[in-house]
Amino acid sequence: MNQAEQLRMMVYASLLAALTAAGAYIAIPIGPIPIVLQNLFIFLTGLLLGSKWGVASVAVYLLAGASGLPVFAGGTGGLGRLLGPTGGYLLGYLPAVYLIGFISEKMNHRRFYDALAVVCGTIIIYACGIAWLKTITGMTLTKTLAVGMYPFLPGDVLKIVAAVIIAKSLRPVIGQR
Amino acid sequence: MADLTAFSYHPGRSFLHLLDVRFKIIFLILISLTGMQADPPALCLLTFLFLCLIKSSRLSLISILKELRYFLVLLFFVLIARALSTPGTPVFEFKLLSISRQGLYDGILICWRLALVVLLGLIFVSTTRPSEIRTAVAWFLKPFPFIPGKKVATMIGLIMRFVPVILAQAKETSDAQRARGIENRKNPIYRLVKLAVPLIFKTFQNANNLAVAMEARCYSENRTDPDLSSKKNDWIAFFFVICLCILVVEI
Amino acid sequence: MNIIEIRGLSHRFSDGTLGLDAIDIEIKEGEFIVIAGRNGSGKTTLLRHLNGLLRPQTGSVKLAGISVSEDFVRARQMVGMVFQDADSQIIGETVYDDVAFGPENLRLERSEVQQRVSMALEAGGLIDLADHRPHLLSGGEKRRLAIAGILAMKPRVIVFDEPFSNLDYPGVKQVLEQILTLHQAGHTILITTHDLEKVLAHADRLVIMQKGKIVRDGLPNKIVTETEAFGVRQPCTSRLGLEIGSWLI
Repeated sequence: MNQAEQLRMMVYASLLAALTAAGAYIAIPIGPIPIVLQNLFIFLTGLLLGSKWGVASVAVYLLAGASGLPVFAGGTGGLGRLLGPTGGYLLGYLPAVYLIGFISEKMNHRRFYDALAVVCGTIIIYACGIAWLKTITGMTLTKTLAVGMYPFLPGDVLKIVAAVIIAKSLRPVIGQR
Repeated sequence: MADLTAFSYHPGRSFLHLLDVRFKIIFLILISLTGMQADPPALCLLTFLFLCLIKSSRLSLISILKELRYFLVLLFFVLIARALSTPGTPVFEFKLLSISRQGLYDGILICWRLALVVLLGLIFVSTTRPSEIRTAVAWFLKPFPFIPGKKVATMIGLIMRFVPVILAQAKETSDAQRARGIENRKNPIYRLVKLAVPLIFKTFQNANNLAVAMEARCYSENRTDPDLSSKKNDWIAFFFVICLCILVVEI
Repeated sequence: MNIIEIRGLSHRFSDGTLGLDAIDIEIKEGEFIVIAGRNGSGKTTLLRHLNGLLRPQTGSVKLAGISVSEDFVRARQMVGMVFQDADSQIIGETVYDDVAFGPENLRLERSEVQQRVSMALEAGGLIDLADHRPHLLSGGEKRRLAIAGILAMKPRVIVFDEPFSNLDYPGVKQVLEQILTLHQAGHTILITTHDLEKVLAHADRLVIMQKGKIVRDGLPNKIVTETEAFGVRQPCTSRLGLEIGSWLI
């Protein structure tokens, strides 16, 4: 990859991290719980940037948040937000985006495998998120799932489908000058 | 919506404002880590100290609490969950619900610790410029051989630059679509896609232009070193923070 | 000596269309040139060759005698470029950071960076805004910030791609005034536009492009009457047979 190309990928990675940060504030009001776009952009980071730049994007996002810049949902907070009840989900983004990028690259961005990749990513995010939430709250696993996962699943299904469609339609136009 | 970072930095010349940002980050980490293990007497001490810091930096406690409102809701939820799910001597019973003394104690302890750690983060952010934070991150990453610290710092700068632009763009896109009656569409996937595709497409175009503009201004990873210098006050503060941490762990 | 010398430059886009077709042009130091042409006539493509954002496929581009391809950093320092969309060329989170971006890339000493930034901010009248966030600035201020970011790199040639697009009347006047000041300070100025009205009164030379070729090149007064054949509107006053007036009066 030449230097100009490297620079462009770096700007893209920053852009997707910024979209993820902004995604916490962009909501589509449908049904009882508005759909927040944050993890949609995490999926797209993996699908559009691939494993290497995807991980770079999410890592820089988490680092920026950990050092106190207001990029996490609900404003500032720094390190405390990663240790707080929802910190597990945030840390889960990192392995999730790697896996999504990895599967999608290996399978040549075919639609079915993109969907599979995003489903796997979602499972990882919840695995990390639930494990930490359970430790902090001391609830039983069933209860933790009931508050930390089930209510969000319908929204997630929508976002998974949307992510695959969006990635498909944007891939050809991204990366052209 | 564009006031995402409105809270972040409050200009000033207080003691905290003038500390070297690298020291502030080390203090933040040290106190956060020890604070997570603190017991009530130590937590009282820390709470008192933080209130003094807020006072001396001329921050408004009310706007800080406002900023923390979402997090406090989360903590309240943690408190309830703890109180209900920990077995022990009940202090309150109603049908199937029972709140135990141990649960209540555990819950309060955890919430207090987390609240203090987040509060400290807020104090840090409101007395430190974003560009200083970025510079310090680059400085801390320098010793790591495979992580390009200056590149990371540039990326963090770009994130902070992109966010307000994205929020403005999202508002414009969604206004334009509402003007054409998108609210009559009930299919949520359709609406997600129709909002995200133009938003991402437009922002990627901007990103392309930005990359070219960076190239035109000779972007290189090998840039002028950040301007950081530690003073005597930083080391004095360092000594006190170490003492504080030992004290917090001991009591 | 000519500061810019282009010989037989052609550029074919990756989709096969010819962007530039055997361009020859010489530009003397201190000239004020307006390059006009309809959208897609190759103006921007030509400019991007001046600082190595695009590399010559055939032909050569020389800056003060040295080929651009030999030293991109030199070329980018020498030819400052202000892009059409002011928003998307702002890199820093604050006005100060943005202006410092270029000098920092050149690895100048911190004190030198500070000095250049204050010089550039002063030239753009942006000193009071140094701590502001760029996206909150007005259109004219953003454009002046873009110019300040270029000035901090001390270029000899400054290239403006459609500098007046999306600006209100005061914005146009501010930017135009600044361009003239830069020209008086000895910079070579190149401006592309499809709207001659705002700037032609100040130009020494008018170049018209069509389909990747230079079709007219000469004194503005001589060739301004021919512009409409190439898809560029002739300024009002000159249509009426009068001299072209300045927007600053």
